Amino acid sequence: MKFIKKHIPLLIVLVVGVLTLASYYVPNKYSVDYLELMNKWENIVSAFAFLLGLISLFYSHYNKIKRKTDGWGYSLFVYVGFLAMVVPALMNGGRQMVDGQVTSLGWSFRYIYNALSATMFAVLAFYIVSTAYRSFRIKSAQAFVLFVAAFILILGKVPLGQIIWDSVLGWTHTGIDQVIEWIMSVPAVAGKRGIMIGIAIGAVVTSLKIIFGIERQYMGRD
Amino acid sequence: MIKKSSLCLILCLASAGALHAAGKSAKAAQAAVPAINGFSASDMPYDAGGAALLRWPVNAADTETTVYTVYASSSDGAGWVRIDEFPSSANTGKGIDLPFWAWDGSAAEHAYKAELGNFFPGAAEGTVLRFKVASSDKGRVTAESLPAEAAVSGNWFRLDRLNNLLLLVLVMVVFFWAVSHAKRKGLFIRRIAGLDAIDEAIGRATEMGKPIYYVPGIGSMSSISTIASAFILGEVSKKVAQYDSFIKIPHYDPIVMTVAKEVVKQSYMEAGRPDSYREDLNFFVSQDQFSYAASVDGMIAREKPAACFFMGYFMAESLLLAEVGATSGAIQIAGTDVEHQLPFFFTACDYTLIGEELYAAGAYLSKEPMLMSALKVQDFGKLVVMVSVLLGIVLLALGTKLHWDSFTQVILNLFKAY
Repeated sequence: MKFIKKHIPLLIVLVVGVLTLASYYVPNKYSVDYLELMNKWENIVSAFAFLLGLISLFYSHYNKIKRKTDGWGYSLFVYVGFLAMVVPALMNGGRQMVDGQVTSLGWSFRYIYNALSATMFAVLAFYIVSTAYRSFRIKSAQAFVLFVAAFILILGKVPLGQIIWDSVLGWTHTGIDQVIEWIMSVPAVAGKRGIMIGIAIGAVVTSLKIIFGIERQYMGRD
Repeated sequence: MIKKSSLCLILCLASAGALHAAGKSAKAAQAAVPAINGFSASDMPYDAGGAALLRWPVNAADTETTVYTVYASSSDGAGWVRIDEFPSSANTGKGIDLPFWAWDGSAAEHAYKAELGNFFPGAAEGTVLRFKVASSDKGRVTAESLPAEAAVSGNWFRLDRLNNLLLLVLVMVVFFWAVSHAKRKGLFIRRIAGLDAIDEAIGRATEMGKPIYYVPGIGSMSSISTIASAFILGEVSKKVAQYDSFIKIPHYDPIVMTVAKEVVKQSYMEAGRPDSYREDLNFFVSQDQFSYAASVDGMIAREKPAACFFMGYFMAESLLLAEVGATSGAIQIAGTDVEHQLPFFFTACDYTLIGEELYAAGAYLSKEPMLMSALKVQDFGKLVVMVSVLLGIVLLALGTKLHWDSFTQVILNLFKAY
């Protein structure tokens, strides 16, 4: 039983991991075909897994409605939203336009789905303001550096800020554009690259741990 | 009748004479075009097939207006297909983007990589193709090569990636050494505040009697950060089970949900609380980014959890989630390897794991010797990078200062990814 539950999955991970790693160094047609096959399998598994997700979604919201938990009314919208997209899709064979005319699916997509997505994305702007306010509260030396860098960037992006800079610090003969360019291309890039190098090394080591079965928590333990 | 046939005969003779004269003049014109000597065609090395490498010497007599046209043909009988046209100053041997150990090209020759996929889409592996090149000046053909043949096929090894392979082999050797010498004691690991705060967050949730939200992001199971998130989830849910607290895990990807269910179930069993485990701890929300964010935001705003974990792959929804969590008063711990989302987590969360800390978190929390030893490999990798960067800076500066162009090129090739 342990052989089926543990060793076979580990062997599959090892074989698939080594083959995928090798395909980076082997440009042959077999290697390309193998990667394409893996992608197809992933898509097929995803399609079936989506069905599981849908069942989970309906089940959890059904329970909320049944138990009348807090905010159970919102759960009704899951079913309403689902029907509002699926019924028109079935009626129009998945087409949003027929003979230049917007179908009911096209209407639902444009005036329900797109409108709601755009609203959520728009909310981001307000959250950025409140986050910026929070991060501008100077509590430490690092926060002060962050504040100064952000303040210069904001100043440089508006004409009034450029006028203020020129009138106050014009004697330095250094334009605010030059300062912004330096901040963006030297300290910001240095920090970013440091993080990216750490991430790349971490990703390699994590991959090796998984391929060689050192890390196997994702499949449960013995 | 006789008159008619003699008229036909005269016409035929006249037309044959005209054709013969035309053929003669065409041959004469062709003979007048000088040949491009030294033209050769071969399979493009280190590729997946579908490309040929054409080489011929640079002609000193070429002017700024000289243009080369490359032709290919599938077989002897088929006509020539025009592949590309470029000025005489372009496509020299130096222009091929391959390192010095895989390519020996000079500026004294033309080297052109002919991509044939669009021109011969049905060509099988190993198909022999014919190539020729012609030079022209202001529309007049000045020289033309003899046809050369080459079989185009995929190769078995990317020699240009040899530097990458050697580095990988080195990392693997260190990896196996570190794992085989795993020690239970005496291994120093610096403290990671975000991971130390997990106990505090779960304890707070237990005291307040409020749930904990664990958000694994919008990555698929093939994403390294999602896999790392699953490791952390295992340790977090084990602590949740021990404290008899309550965790909720909303999912974006159904496959991640399936894996997370197994991980959480196992953790509850290891904690000795299989009775507390419920199938609906993990639940699917939506596979649309903003629908997912809206739904999780709604749940956080309504239930006001005591703690929120954001671990995994995040995009624009990072701030939408973290900001709502911050306003609800939850203690927030985040971790992602998407470097452009890190600033949002820094400002909105109490603790943030940066990239590699996310990968190290599983080992840090589990305290398993083999996993902890693997962290040494990460440190070794960082040491290699630091030494390489320093050495590279010094050698490149030296090579540039002393005008050692070949030496500079060698250093640049060694550190480049192909």
